[in-house]
Amino acid sequence: MDLVFWEIARASGLAAYAALCISVLSGLAPRTQALSFLANNRAVRALHDWTPWIIIPAALTHVVALLLDATARIGILDVFVPFLTSYGQLAIGLGTISLDLLIVVLVTTWLRRRFTNNAWQWWHRVSYLGFVTMFLHSMLSGTDLTSPVIAALSWASAIGIGYYALERLGKALNPARIRA
Amino acid sequence: MNAKSPTLPPIPPKTGPGRAIKRSGPVPAWGLKLGGFLATLGVFVGSFGFAGTHLYVTNAPLQPSTVAAVAVTDTTSTATATAVTSTATTTTTTLTPSVQTTTRAAVTVTKKS
Repeated sequence: MDLVFWEIARASGLAAYAALCISVLSGLAPRTQALSFLANNRAVRALHDWTPWIIIPAALTHVVALLLDATARIGILDVFVPFLTSYGQLAIGLGTISLDLLIVVLVTTWLRRRFTNNAWQWWHRVSYLGFVTMFLHSMLSGTDLTSPVIAALSWASAIGIGYYALERLGKALNPARIRA
Repeated sequence: MNAKSPTLPPIPPKTGPGRAIKRSGPVPAWGLKLGGFLATLGVFVGSFGFAGTHLYVTNAPLQPSTVAAVAVTDTTSTATATAVTSTATTTTTTLTPSVQTTTRAAVTVTKKS
């Protein structure tokens, strides 16, 4: 039974990474036109607002499967407090941080009306840090990323998101380009 | 503007100063959501299949020690596991084979000639 939990944990980890990639990319797309070949901004925005419905189940499955897997030896405290595990402290701790940041982003988004727009935007920018920590977590601890094909796909999606994030940053720092 | 200046030819639309109209793709919001769901599900199913065929990855970055798990779960097996701590503070497992009697029915028969 342990092996089943182990397989589920690995698969759901990659699924959570894929879901987060879709979420971050669809969040960047309206300003960068990254997905304009697919759909208009309104549809892309609708996709971005909907992505918690795929991120949360995948992340929850990953965490629960690791909690039930006796070999992984992950405790309930390790899920929320980083760097407490008896092995792979950095690799697993980065995953814990990314989960904490994901919770922060989701909760602040659901409470968006209680924030000013500027404050909410700053909270939402935490998701970039969350993506980086999740990427590092997958690279440092991902068993399946030893496969060249899976590693190449993961790197490609991260590089694509990094490119559009830099483009978005460039447009934010140079508003004249947006008006031009 | 000078009235005697020659009339300039019209600017072709492709090289004109105005932005070219960039048409966005035709996929509706529900199509994107369905695509996102199917992509995530596909990654999960594909990875599950991959993990099933690659259970033991020897070059995996994380290799949790299984000494504790072996000591707890392997009490009924024919081998006993003992954790031995060496001077280099690394924990190793020593498997000691031992013969035990069983009350189970025999699976094979040995013919006597």
